[in-house]
Amino acid sequence: MTEEVRPAGARLEGWALLAATLAVLVTLTLYVRANGREDTREVLYDWQVSAFDGLAGADQAIYNSLYTVKDEIPIIFDDINAFNPPGTKFRWPNLKDFEDVLLPPFYQDTSWEQNGSVTWSLHEPLAEGEMQGSTMYLGTDGKVEGQGSFLLIIGHVHAGFTNNNAIAIWWNAKNHVEMPQSGFKDQLILSGWREVVPYSGDLEVKRLFGDPSKESQESNDGSENVDQLLEGIIGDK
Amino acid sequence: MLTRTLVRLLALSLAMLGAHAAAAKPLKIGVTLHPYYSFVANIVKDRAEIIPLIDADANPHGYAPQPDDMIRITSMDVMVVNGIGHDSWAFEILDASGMKDKLKLIYANDGVSLIPIAGDPSGEKIVNPHTFISTTAAIQQVYLIARKLGELDPENATFFRDNGRKYALEIRKLRAEFDAQIAGVSLAKFRCATMHSGYDYILQELGLQVTAVIEPRHGVEPTARQLAETIDRIKAANVNVLFAEKYFASKLSDTIRDATGVKMYSISHISAGEYTPEKFVDEMRENLHTLATAIIESSKS
Repeated sequence: MTEEVRPAGARLEGWALLAATLAVLVTLTLYVRANGREDTREVLYDWQVSAFDGLAGADQAIYNSLYTVKDEIPIIFDDINAFNPPGTKFRWPNLKDFEDVLLPPFYQDTSWEQNGSVTWSLHEPLAEGEMQGSTMYLGTDGKVEGQGSFLLIIGHVHAGFTNNNAIAIWWNAKNHVEMPQSGFKDQLILSGWREVVPYSGDLEVKRLFGDPSKESQESNDGSENVDQLLEGIIGDK
Repeated sequence: MLTRTLVRLLALSLAMLGAHAAAAKPLKIGVTLHPYYSFVANIVKDRAEIIPLIDADANPHGYAPQPDDMIRITSMDVMVVNGIGHDSWAFEILDASGMKDKLKLIYANDGVSLIPIAGDPSGEKIVNPHTFISTTAAIQQVYLIARKLGELDPENATFFRDNGRKYALEIRKLRAEFDAQIAGVSLAKFRCATMHSGYDYILQELGLQVTAVIEPRHGVEPTARQLAETIDRIKAANVNVLFAEKYFASKLSDTIRDATGVKMYSISHISAGEYTPEKFVDEMRENLHTLATAIIESSKS
């Protein structure tokens, strides 16, 4: 015959264990909340692709070059049209203009060859007098295995784009594609294009440091101190 | 009432005069890394003062903040930072000096499309912070810095922007020089490994793929097992070139060279020596020359 003998402090021991477990959980939760890093990568739609982990090799290199030149193309546009005689149509920079300033991924050097010798072409609706489309640079027929095609779109405000989405870069998994009829999102998506989304430094800064206020030091033009100064000179009447 | 109005007008005029004088005063711009000194110097020329946060001979890898850094940071109007992992000590200095919420920062990589560390056997996508060892990503940073400085100093905004563009073209010409050096050379046999992930941006821009990276993380030496696996990978992929760090040499690179027979070349991290306006272009030119030499030599093997 056996007899079960429970320790005198069994009930207390159970409660102590529960309390200790809860304490550990609460401490861990607070620590993670205080020190954990937020995943700042954007949640992408089906019709988008990440430049960071969705593209690789030559296609990632081409995208990163396009991402830089998208800011330069409007400046080159200003340069080549700055001294137009009155009445002359404005034009967007062509591939020859890009060659002149050694602009990758258009400039045909060894890097261009290594990244697939992509064939670039320009679609310039303004030159055709359409006034309703977008300026588009299409890169296609790359020679690297598995390489896709690229489309840099400069949408015009009068064509229904806003300044926020005026310049966009799209990627198509097909190696050969024709120049799209328009730069409108719906039609591009239906044709298999996906908008490329960068993982840019500002997102990494947010991941590392939370969301630091980059405008923490407000410019002080002196006017906000005038009332304090007045109080000191003539008092508050 | 009239007295109060007159005094208010006088005070306002004085304040505006003061503000104008403050605006006309050249900016004091802090920088954390050598490339940012060159970028800023070529953008602002003589219209601002540049203050490196740490001494020229300090190693920015694992840097321990010094008392002089606290003094320097308090004299800055704005500081240009990498911000994505290569100058984390700058944020410690900001905290320790009480300047965290006072000093305006320009995050040079805000507009850069980042890439993961290449050749990581784990397949994990870790952000590579070495955006400054590059041409295209460097140009993107030059443009952003010029724009942000122009916002802080509107009178010089056009001057900064134009200088930024000229400097960008100077950087692009380095690529053209590189191209001329390897004209007609086949890249078919070129297979490279790197000691660490510092050269991923420039290699990718040139269309050169990295087969293996020796250090599992920047500044972290591999374990014996990781090293053995990497050596196997180098042999299996017929890697014939190993790029190692010029300024921070490691005996590990000799070990790998001896074990695999790869030819070793040194590339500059652009993070040591005097701060000069020419440093970035000079060292990138040297780096590209080294890359061209490695390509030419590998084509003969």
